[in-house]
Amino acid sequence: MTTFHLTVVTPDGCAFDGQAERVVCRAIDGDLAILAKHGDYCTALGMGEAHIVDAEGTRRRAACMGGMLTVLDGDVRLVATTWEWAEQIDQARAEASKKRAEEILAQKNLDKRDYELAQARLKRALVRTSIHP
Amino acid sequence: MAGSMKDIKLRIKSVESTMQITKAMELVASSKMRRAKERVEHSRPYFETLHETLTGIAAADPRARNPYLRRDEIKRTLLIVIAGDRGLAGGYNSNVLKQADAQEGPVTVLPIGKRSAEYFAHHGADLFTDEVLLAAEISVGECFSLSRKITEGFLKGDYDAVKICYTRFDSMMTQTAATMEVLPLTIEPTEEQKAAARRSQILYKPSSEEVFRAIIPEYVAGIVYGAVCESVASELAARRTAMDAATKNAGEMIDHLNLYYNRARQAAITQEITEIVAGAEI
Repeated sequence: MTTFHLTVVTPDGCAFDGQAERVVCRAIDGDLAILAKHGDYCTALGMGEAHIVDAEGTRRRAACMGGMLTVLDGDVRLVATTWEWAEQIDQARAEASKKRAEEILAQKNLDKRDYELAQARLKRALVRTSIHP
Repeated sequence: MAGSMKDIKLRIKSVESTMQITKAMELVASSKMRRAKERVEHSRPYFETLHETLTGIAAADPRARNPYLRRDEIKRTLLIVIAGDRGLAGGYNSNVLKQADAQEGPVTVLPIGKRSAEYFAHHGADLFTDEVLLAAEISVGECFSLSRKITEGFLKGDYDAVKICYTRFDSMMTQTAATMEVLPLTIEPTEEQKAAARRSQILYKPSSEEVFRAIIPEYVAGIVYGAVCESVASELAARRTAMDAATKNAGEMIDHLNLYYNRARQAAITQEITEIVAGAEI
């Protein structure tokens, strides 16, 4: 299959740089897949599962949260806030984080900020726990 | 004579203990430095791609509407000043604070690093928050929540420009204090990008405005995080250089003092001999 050049960068370094067949991730308005020869495109990313099919046809899953995806002249750039490969995710930590967030959300009279923070934490934890290597 | 010998001995001792401290500080700085340098190298591609992509979009679609564009009049500027948490790093802190002071017009300051916070609190500057953020401990997450506050303030119109004063890490030996404009987006496309722009039609999903709304906070957070990484590495490099110079100076001082000490000792011996000889003749 035709491949395209894909770069995935995060503040902690470069997660992927090479040829890929397909990249699937969740944008702010739903899931999307990018194949080779895609037109110029730009969107912001949401939180969710993502996967890349590389030039050899292996599918690699990851948790992708926040950032943006652009296609310019067939070159795809995924600038993510967090990008964790499935095998890198610390499931125990994600579980603990989920539990903590749920405890916070169960409390009454939370202020708006705390509520949002806990909600975001719960979302992140849910994305992580949903991806099993 | 014996008195001055004792004095010199004491001075040598005190200089030696100072040298031990500076030596230890140098070693600590260089071991921390290695980690900080790695962090800078890891975060740079993110930062550069983010910047490149945004410039690319702006160049490709100059009509893209977004609320972060330039405003007619800049009434107030938010200045993010990143300095160190500690002193003894040569001119590191004063250079960056001088950069910040050079800023004209009314400013609100967001200090990062204890030194910066103390300086602006002392000078009665208008502060963005009262909490003191430590430069060495700031994480990506904190940068994001900070950035959200910064962009909210910008959209509300509390200030019309955001600038960041930090120290760029050029190499182990050179670090330059610099000021960078973050908001409004003043992206000057290159000629090459302009040429590419004419033939490209970017599709924004769901709309360019919403994409910008979602991306700009990320962009600001990325810049803040990148600048903090650079500054922390610069601080450690500056401290390492300063402490290296101090250790060298202390070594020189000890050599000089040793010379004086030996001279004084010899003079004392000569005097004693002269006294004995004089006594024997009588």
